[in-house]
Amino acid sequence: MSDHPVTLGRFDAEEARLAGLKPADLLSLGLAAALILLPLLVGGSWIFALGVCFANSIGVLAVSVLVRYGGEVSIGHSFFAAVGAYSVAVLDTRFGLSLLASLPLALALGVVSGVAFAWPSRKLSGIYLAVSTMALALAVPELINNADGLTGGYEGLYVSQPVIPGIAMSLQRYYAALIVLVAVVYGLARLRHSRQGLQLLLAKAHPAAADAFGTRRVWARVAVMGISGGIAALCGAMLGFAGSTVSPSGFTLWSSIFLLVGSVVSFYGLSLPRALVGGAFLTLVPQFLSASGAWIPVLYGLALLGMILLGHYLPRLRAMIADRKGGV
Amino acid sequence: MDVVTNALKGEGIALSFGGIEVLKGLDVEFRAGEITGLIGPNGAGKTSLFNCLTGAYAPQKGTITYAGQSLDGLPPAARASRGIVRSFQHVALSPDLTVLENVMIGVARNHHAGWQHVFLPTRRGREEMARMRADAEQALAELGLAGAADKLPAELPPGMLRLVEIARAIVGRPQVLLLDEPAAGLNNAETRDLMRSLKSLCSPDLVMVVVEHDMDLVMSICDRIYVLNFGAFVACGTPQQVRQDEDVVRIYLGSDDD
Ligand SMILES: Nc1ncnc2c1ncn2[C@@H]1O[C@H](COP(=O)(O)OP(=O)(O)OP(=O)(O)O)[C@@H](O)[C@H]1O
Ligand SMILES: [Mg+2]
Repeated sequence: MSDHPVTLGRFDAEEARLAGLKPADLLSLGLAAALILLPLLVGGSWIFALGVCFANSIGVLAVSVLVRYGGEVSIGHSFFAAVGAYSVAVLDTRFGLSLLASLPLALALGVVSGVAFAWPSRKLSGIYLAVSTMALALAVPELINNADGLTGGYEGLYVSQPVIPGIAMSLQRYYAALIVLVAVVYGLARLRHSRQGLQLLLAKAHPAAADAFGTRRVWARVAVMGISGGIAALCGAMLGFAGSTVSPSGFTLWSSIFLLVGSVVSFYGLSLPRALVGGAFLTLVPQFLSASGAWIPVLYGLALLGMILLGHYLPRLRAMIADRKGGV
Repeated sequence: MDVVTNALKGEGIALSFGGIEVLKGLDVEFRAGEITGLIGPNGAGKTSLFNCLTGAYAPQKGTITYAGQSLDGLPPAARASRGIVRSFQHVALSPDLTVLENVMIGVARNHHAGWQHVFLPTRRGREEMARMRADAEQALAELGLAGAADKLPAELPPGMLRLVEIARAIVGRPQVLLLDEPAAGLNNAETRDLMRSLKSLCSPDLVMVVVEHDMDLVMSICDRIYVLNFGAFVACGTPQQVRQDEDVVRIYLGSDDD
């Protein structure tokens, strides 16, 4: 039993597993470390765009968690994002309160809105649920404009209260968004290994089996929408803080659709790298492409198509490569 | 006496779908401490009866009681929390979860840590998961599946998935265990092991009902057998009695009984 040269690689992986770290975790940690150091290297406009990218990544996670744990698709998540964004902006401009006070409020209101939407729609699924989420998205700009005494109407609100006075606001916008993104990823990693997470995943695949083991399917739907709505509200809150302005044009049906697109191109992943891919697709790709004028929508569409095809063929490519290796 | 009061009883259970009578006023008594067999040809209504007992279907007529208490109107989840548990004829595991995690769901109903324990690293959350994991590992080991714990369902052959389904049903120490074709897809050796496991599960306060097409299994582990045909019972008794019943032989056992 002394020489196992063949199993050596597997043994290393096993040791890493025992230490609680998988290769994917190491990638996420490395990425987080790089992002923490990045402001030392790159300049202002990049930092601003990355802050917004982190916020969008949170929104992508909100949609992905609904797909992964609920098996449902939403084209209305701009509603929950708007709830979060206006929590931050209104507390900031009307009451002079910083993110420390408004972020918990945004989260709570997002969860409550998610639950409040899930209850009446608990019997809907598939295309019917997606269309009813669309109604939410369509209502947002109207609601904001009607409540212009509070929301500032079309012109919007400017978010300026620092979290920690004395530190450059541009750095605060960047780091606050990064911290919230990492916290959401961490929370979702915990969900996957929790009792509730297991119950939700069974309820998605076999509602009748979940029922038979004490997990009501209505509970599952309400819980998933609550989580998803809460995360979307965090996205909105960070879009407001990192992007500094909150206005109705940021929360249209298109915003909801782009969140879904971001979720699709990240293959509904819930890890930090995947969320960043989705967030980058929402934030940075349009910036790259903005130089190309009228061709933007076409190039955006091509980039989207490329990502989806990659997602479609990547598993097969991997399988082919694995087969080759196995054959040697 | 105790044995009788802890029974799962149905009186006059009638179920129909769009005018088609699937169960025609069944009276049943599944006693604790016994293994009861439920046999009958395809489409006889065996799974439908299980669905009525677990609350998945609401029978149009009849009452169901467990240990003297009515279950009528209780949703499936409430019956599960009273320890009434089933396995599914068509394996119903989550493809996203490992075998171990799928089995852990079988004990979920006994645990109640709230959402704060999901998102924050609390001791209570950690201990709850550790206990669920230990219970699930033990159930898997009892069925000889310890080696498959970290596999995904897609990586296992159908016979093993069937056993995982059973492990999930037995792991939470149920009061009533309804097994729907537990030996379907198992080979002879696996079936023998399963029979041994089911017998060893038997305890004075466990009601166990087994729907099965494998007559050897039914005849050798069951204390009593109900025979269902077109939604009505045609016979009920010990394996010996059922084996000799002319109607049963004609309807179901056929040439099997030579
Ligand atoms: N949800 C349903 N809707 C309509 N008909 C149903 C439903 N569930 C069961 N049935 C019908 O009830 C009858 C009994 O079905 P059931 O599944 O209970 O039979 P079974 O005895 O379990 O058969 P098998 O041995 O094939 O599993 C069948 O004719 C079936 O078509
Ligand atoms: Mg059946």
